[in-house]
Amino acid sequence: MRAYELLKETFWRRRYIWIVHVVWLALYVMFWWLYYPDPEEFGGLLFLCGGFLLPLALSAGIIGDDVASGRICVVLTRPLRPGTLFAYRLLGLSLQGAIHFLLAGIVILVLRLVTRKGSTEDLAFWLFLSWLLFNTWAALSTSSSVLVKRSQNSLFLLVAFITIGGVLQILIWNLRNYAVGDVLKGILRYGFPPHTLLRDLGNGEFEEKNLVLAGLHLPRTLVYTAHSLLLTMIYALPGVLIFRKKQFLAERD
Amino acid sequence: MIQAANEPTSDSDAREAVVQCRRLTKVYKKLLASRAKAVRALNEVSLSVRPGQIVGLIGPNGAGKSTLLNLIAGLIFPTDGDVTVCGHPARSIQARQSLGYMPEHPVFLGGYSARATLRYHGALLGLSRAAIADQVDKSIQRLQMQEFIDRPCADFSQGMKQRLALGVAMLNEPQLLLLDEPSNGLDPVGIIRLRDLLKQLQDSGAAIVISSHRLGELEKLTSDYMFMHHGQIITFGDNAMTGRAGQLLVGLESDGPRLAETLLPASKVLEASETELALAVDDPAEVPDIVSKLARGGARITSVMLQREDIEETFLRLCDERGQ
Repeated sequence: MRAYELLKETFWRRRYIWIVHVVWLALYVMFWWLYYPDPEEFGGLLFLCGGFLLPLALSAGIIGDDVASGRICVVLTRPLRPGTLFAYRLLGLSLQGAIHFLLAGIVILVLRLVTRKGSTEDLAFWLFLSWLLFNTWAALSTSSSVLVKRSQNSLFLLVAFITIGGVLQILIWNLRNYAVGDVLKGILRYGFPPHTLLRDLGNGEFEEKNLVLAGLHLPRTLVYTAHSLLLTMIYALPGVLIFRKKQFLAERD
Repeated sequence: MIQAANEPTSDSDAREAVVQCRRLTKVYKKLLASRAKAVRALNEVSLSVRPGQIVGLIGPNGAGKSTLLNLIAGLIFPTDGDVTVCGHPARSIQARQSLGYMPEHPVFLGGYSARATLRYHGALLGLSRAAIADQVDKSIQRLQMQEFIDRPCADFSQGMKQRLALGVAMLNEPQLLLLDEPSNGLDPVGIIRLRDLLKQLQDSGAAIVISSHRLGELEKLTSDYMFMHHGQIITFGDNAMTGRAGQLLVGLESDGPRLAETLLPASKVLEASETELALAVDDPAEVPDIVSKLARGGARITSVMLQREDIEETFLRLCDERGQ
């Protein structure tokens, strides 16, 4: 019962969540209807809108709203560890993402059947990659929501991502002839949300090129999936640690 | 340090206490702010609350009442000292199992109905589906929520929110109930119901700590007050009225000023007219002695009336004494 209620809460905590889902689905439909995109184009849209922007929209104030309103004070006087609450908020988001991409897949398949135009090749793979990216952003956003009051966590994250990413790109360009440039490139590629890795994977750039790790030949899909999930956990960790030690005053902001 | 008068002295008392605070200190300091800007909200407060006791927290704004409630609820960490609830550290899961908390401004998910909110909290308490249904029904009956139980919380009036918040706090039939301004927004009938409910809870052995500015309401519930001022407890318990039990008005046929001057110490005499003496009384037990002293001294007494200080007068006096 507890798990069910905690997951359900993430779906119903704000009425606009449903509006966001519907608007995003409508966007996919419109894009399909107007352009009959090829798999890569449609995958790119799913990846950008569903994997990157959707988690930011859905996780706005996921914890900060409760902190600002004081609701968190009643929830945390229940026999529930703050870390558990955090985990369920993130799991709820991830579940929302999964349902969203499942629905998107069904809608597009129906459109394909009705219009007999466009291509659904690799659609399932793109949906899966978008969900992986969705999870990393959801984890980052939930963590930042512990620190940033109300719903500004998403905006804060977007600005931070653009700023830090931009600065790193400039540094990499200027230091391209030095070893430190490669280190920064590695940080951007493997430490940041895995936009490039997953998009390249979706575009089929690594096909039949296994990765050799400790003498083992591993499919890149598997390795990058594990990498995305690991990043999700790493991004969630600071949020859990801070949430556990955070103090909450029963006063409205 | 001013300690609560009924602080337990033995280990067995401490074990029995529902709430036990020892030298509790809380200092609020903003990150990177200088030490001078730190605010000492609570200063070495010690107290204990027994099962079945209702304690009223009173004091001016900024006295430390909310800080004390928040510390007991485990929402903030003490800077020094410790607080236990039913023998467990305040922030522990075991402590939270025995706790019901109602904030001053209850907030609920706007899209949830009162029933869904109660169900949600029942689930957080780890109750089974059947137990939740049972507790929800009980709450609806207890707090007369039938007319709005399935309406979304976004449409609730302040009174409805208060009733629902009380239902949420009482859901697990807690051993300790912490209430911050519980009668806010309640109509007179709601206040009377609340009082009856709290009395029932008290009879079942639960301890209740109430922070309220509605002193008249508190007075009807308990005689155990804790006056807080500048993060310290000034008085505690029935002897909160200590200092001054009240005023003794003695009616006389005549000769009031002379009798007062010859028979009573000057510090006791507040006012003396021909036919009435107003005397300060620290303890009601003094009254027979004063009356017999006056009678022996030849006073012809026509009436005797002890006017006790009520909680509002005590509050104003204590604030006044501390320059508030």
